Order: sequence, then structure tokens, then C-alpha cells
Amino acid sequence: MIPLEHFLVLSGILFSTGIYGVLSRRNAVLILMSVELMLAAVSINMTAFAVYISPDLFTGIIFAVFVIVVAAAEVALGLAIIVRVFRQRASANVDEVASLKW
Amino acid sequence: MEEAWIIPAIPAAVFAFMFFFRNLLPRQGDFVSVLGALASFVVFFFVLADALDGISLGEKIRPAVEGFTWLEFSDFEIRIGFYVDELAIVMLSVVTFVALMVNFYSLGYMKGENHYGWYFTILSLFVASMLTLVLADNLLLLYITWELVGICSFLLIGFFFERRSAAEAAKKAFVTTRVGDTAFLIGIIFAFYQVGTFDIQTLIEAAEAGEISDGWLTAISLLIFVGCMGKSAQFPLHVWLPDAMEGPTPVSALIHAATMVVAGVYLTARLLPMFEVAPYALDFVLIVGLITTIFSALVGLLQTDIKRVVAYSTLNSLGLMFVALGAGGHGLTAALLYLFVHAFFKALLFLSAGSVLHATDRQDALELGGLWRKMPLTAILFGLGAAAMAGVFPLSGFFAKDEILAVVLDERGPVYFGLVLVSVALTGVYIARIWILTFLGKPRDQHAYDHAHESGPLMMIPMVLLGILTLVGGLVVFSDIGQELGFPGGFGQFLFVEEPEDFHFDWALVGASVGAALLGVLMAFYFWLVGSGRRAATVEALMPEMALILRRKFFIDEVYQAGINYVMLGAAGVVSWFDRAVVNDTGVNGAGVLARFAGDRLKYQQTGVVPNYALYIVVGVVVLATIAVVTVAR
Repeated sequence: MIPLEHFLVLSGILFSTGIYGVLSRRNAVLILMSVELMLAAVSINMTAFAVYISPDLFTGIIFAVFVIVVAAAEVALGLAIIVRVFRQRASANVDEVASLKW
Repeated sequence: MEEAWIIPAIPAAVFAFMFFFRNLLPRQGDFVSVLGALASFVVFFFVLADALDGISLGEKIRPAVEGFTWLEFSDFEIRIGFYVDELAIVMLSVVTFVALMVNFYSLGYMKGENHYGWYFTILSLFVASMLTLVLADNLLLLYITWELVGICSFLLIGFFFERRSAAEAAKKAFVTTRVGDTAFLIGIIFAFYQVGTFDIQTLIEAAEAGEISDGWLTAISLLIFVGCMGKSAQFPLHVWLPDAMEGPTPVSALIHAATMVVAGVYLTARLLPMFEVAPYALDFVLIVGLITTIFSALVGLLQTDIKRVVAYSTLNSLGLMFVALGAGGHGLTAALLYLFVHAFFKALLFLSAGSVLHATDRQDALELGGLWRKMPLTAILFGLGAAAMAGVFPLSGFFAKDEILAVVLDERGPVYFGLVLVSVALTGVYIARIWILTFLGKPRDQHAYDHAHESGPLMMIPMVLLGILTLVGGLVVFSDIGQELGFPGGFGQFLFVEEPEDFHFDWALVGASVGAALLGVLMAFYFWLVGSGRRAATVEALMPEMALILRRKFFIDEVYQAGINYVMLGAAGVVSWFDRAVVNDTGVNGAGVLARFAGDRLKYQQTGVVPNYALYIVVGVVVLATIAVVTVAR
């Protein structure tokens, strides 16, 4: 059987890649994608722990399902906003969306 | 005797009333103050009669203790309580009587002065505080009233505060007595620490039972005695008393001669059983008293201000009282007898000096002279007081001085006796000298002489009454006279420590004391009257340095001034530098400067770019996670 550590390392790499993307990208679509990566990393973590630590319970897996649902909803909403912003400004750069800042 | 609290309560009520309403009353309410003093004096007689009821020869009256707890915090309580015994009764008689005389005299003397009503208000506060002081049964109440009489003294010395010298003198008196009061307070705290109560009788019992170690006992006694030295103007804290003569003369008579300055003597007498148990304490009292009495007699020799000479004679007398207390044995009786008669003749001296001052507006004897023609009664009364002060037979001062000399000879031997005798002779010289300079010889300032006149009856009546007491007051030492007055015997059989003492003439002693006094008086006549003082000038020319030292009062004031200028201001400079450089610049301002500098540098971190902040969060989480991992792994 694949040891638990492998899952954790994979999830760590995915999470770090996601953070890097969130911090370095300016394009809203790319930031949203990076957030999806981080959520995926968390889901992997939970599923792996669920299987390895408490196989009788499905808590972790159920949690992962919840995360997927929330992520789907979030992406739908986020993309809708980005589309509206793009329609208005012809750009999806987050730095330019600063009219609420003083 | 339970009604003794009424005696101080009357002037206290008068004070409160006059404080608010004096300006609504006719004559600014002066009569309220006089009537209050009169009422206190009358109530005193009821207390006295009550105390004397049913006691016989050689028996002490049973002290009455009355009072209530004022404040209480767990085992610490502040009590307002009164303790009436023979000592308190003697003090009450002096304070109530002299207060009444001075109130009466002031009606004439202070007429037309500014703040006339305020003067009587403070006078009432003083009388109330002083009466509470002598009745207090615990050290804390005593200390409170001790400070109250101090503040009254301050206010009354500085009564003519428009005059710079008066304001300075008031300040000097306050600060100097403050030195003693601080020691006194420390002594009270030590006593409380050792005994756990402020009650005076408990403290004395504990001391006599040996419950306090010798070291503590000596510390407590000496610290409290330093307080007495401040209040009673003993060397080296005597400097304020001569300057206190800037106040109105009746105040000098009441506060700075008859009552407040003897508070120190009273307190030492009150705690005498403790002083007797404490090693060295009595010797210290004796030495301080002896230094003061000789020092002041020497300084008094060449002063020319009438009131100041009388002030030096007060120092002299206070020193003698401490000598008597420090001698041990029957010293308490001798000291209190002296205190009793001193109050009358010293008040008389001051009131007569005030009469001269009032009539001529001069108080330097060098500008006076020959006044007996214009003011014969004042001259006689002043002379009477001066003779009593010198200790001439059969005036009151004689009996008291004789008692003191007898005690010193019995308890301390011929050396101390000789020194006291020297002081007695010197007293005769300077007190006779000032009388000669003022009333005899030729007028030196014709203008002042022409305006001189006898004072009005308001001033003369108290003076005459005091004069009569000066004449006969000393007779209370005789048992027959004491019994006539309702006492079991003479003064020594009423007020004593262990056994009553009957007064008896020891002719050698009487000869020595009267001889010394008369020698002094005759020397004064020889040097300052015969040939209009040319002989004194000749003697002075022989010893110019000595005369300078005496005139400048042994340079004590100058030494203190130098001490203040160099030592105190120098230390103040160091403290001020520390405060400025370390506390203020480095501490207080330093914190502000540091915060501003840090903000100045750190403000660039606030970019307003959200990913930067996110990065900080990530870095922070990583750091915390690392720390957590590392510590858990251990």
C-alpha cells in the first residue's frame, strides 16, 4: 500500500503551488485557479487521513465532498464576477480593480 | 472629669463659627473668640474641682479616659480620646488662662489691623488645638494637633504677611519645626511597630515592662525628643523662635512663650517614664537643655530688639525645663512648676513689650530709653516680669528656678549645677539690661519718646492680672497655700512621678540662686545704666570678636544658610540633573522618540498591496508551524 506520507507530500506540493499562484499572479482567473489547487490539496489530505486513520468513519470523505461542492459554487460565483469586471474594464488584472481602496 | 472634652470643643466651635460668619458679625466677631476663651476657662474650673474631689495628700488623681474610635481599618484604629491627669490639668490651667488674657489684650492691641476677624479665628483654632494636644490620650491625635498648632503658629507669625520679613519668618518657623516633626512622626511609627498601638499609657507600660528592646526604646525616645526640640526650639533647631517675633506681640506671648513652645516640654514630661527606662535618653535631654539655656543666655546679652531678647529668654527658660526633665528624680515637678509660672511672667513680659511697641512703634531698645516717665505701669510690670525671669526672691520665677537647681544638684552633681547657675546669672544680666535700656536712662529717640503713652485698659487689665500672678504664682509650692486653694498640698504634692515632694528652703541653695540672679542684675546696672552704657562699650571694645560672635548669634543662621546654599541646593542640582537627563530625556521622551523612529522606518512596510499582506500571513504561519513542529518534536 502507498504510505500516508506520499499523499501528504503530494498535498503539500499542491498547496504550496496554490499559494505561490495566489501571491504572484495578477490575473483574477489564474488566482481563482490557484485557490482551486489549494482546495484540492486539502481534499486529498482529508481523504487520505480518513482512509488511513479512521477507516470506519467517513467524516473526512464527506468533508472532501463538501469542499468540492463549495469550490464549485465559489468558482461559479467568482467567474461570474470576473466576467462582469472584464466587461467593464477590459482587464482581469486584480491590481486595477482598486476603486474601493482609498 | 469626663466633661474635659468640652474645654477644647468650645474654641473649636468658635473657630468653625467664625471661619464662616465672622464678617456678618459686628466687630468681625472678636467678642465670640473672647467669650469662647472665657467659657473654656470657666469649664476648666469645673474639671479641676471634679479632679480634686476626694483626693488626699500623696495621692494621685485617677486619670479619666474618654473618647471614641474615629477611623478603623482592621487592627489599626485612630482614636479621638482624652486623658486627664495632673499633668494635663496643669497644662489646661496655663493654656486656658493665658489664652483668655491674650484674647482680651488683643482687643486693644490689634484694633484697626487688617484681617482683624481672621486673627481671632486663628487664635481660636490655636487654643482648640493646643487644648486637644494636652488632653490627647494617643500619639496620633497628639501628632495631628501638634501639626495644627504648628500651622496656627505659621499663620500668626506671617499675620503681617505684606511685610517680607514676616513672611520669611513664618516660612522659617514652619520648615525648621518640620525637621523635628518628621523625626517625631518616624518615632510614632516605630512605637506603633513595637507596641501595636498609639495609646500613650500602653506605650509607657510596655516600656516599663521591658517589652521593647533597648535599641528600639532609645530610637523611639530620641526621635520623639527631636520633635520636642523642634517645637520647643531647642538648640540646634532654635533658629525659628527669635524670628517668630515678627508676628503680633500677643501671639508671641500666647504661642511663642506660654503655650505652643512648651508643647515639647509637655510631651517629654508625658513620656518621661519611657525616657527614664531608655538608656541615654535622659542624658540627651539634659545636654540639649543645658546647651540651649547657656547658648541663648549668651546670645541674649547683646541683642537690642526688645521682643527678641524676650524670645531668647524664652529659649533660656525652655532649656531650663529640659534640664530639669533630663535631671531625673523630681525633675518633672520642677520642670512643670517652672512651666506654670513661666507662662505667666513670660506672657507678662511679652504683653509689656507689646505695650511699648504699641505706644512708640519702636522695638529696638537703642531707639527707646527713659520710658518710665511716660509709661510707669508698663515699666513696673515689665520689671516685675524681668525680675521673675531672673529669679529674684520672692517672685514666682525664684521658686521654680530654685526647684530646678535643687534637682540638678541632687541628681547630677555640682558640675551641672554650676553650669545652670552660670545661666541663671547671665539671665539676670540680659533681662535687666533690656529693661534698663528701654525704661531707664535718657530717651535716645525724642520723637518716639514724645509719642509714648500708657496703653488703654483693654491691654492693661490682662497685664496687671498677669503681674499679680507673677508676684504670687510661685507660692503654690507651699502646702498651706495649696490647701487653701483646695489642693491636697503644694505643687509638688499635686504633680509628681512617684512620691510627693514637699517644698522646703535650702538656704545655701537659695543663697546661690538669688545671689547669682542679683549678681547678674547688678552687673547689668553697673555696665548699662551707670554712665549711660559707656562701661559696656569699653568692655565690648576689649573683645570685638567676641561681641561680633554674640551679635551674630554664633553665626548659626549663616551656617544654616550656607548649608542650604551649598549642600542642599547642590544635592538638588544633582537630583534635578538626574530627573532631566535620565528620567525625562531618556525615559519619558526616549520612549516617544523610539516609537516615532520605529514608525518612521516601519511605515514603508504598509504597501497597500494585498498579496504582500498575504505573503506576511504565509510567512508568519510557516514560522509558527516550524516552531510548533520543532518544539513538539522535542
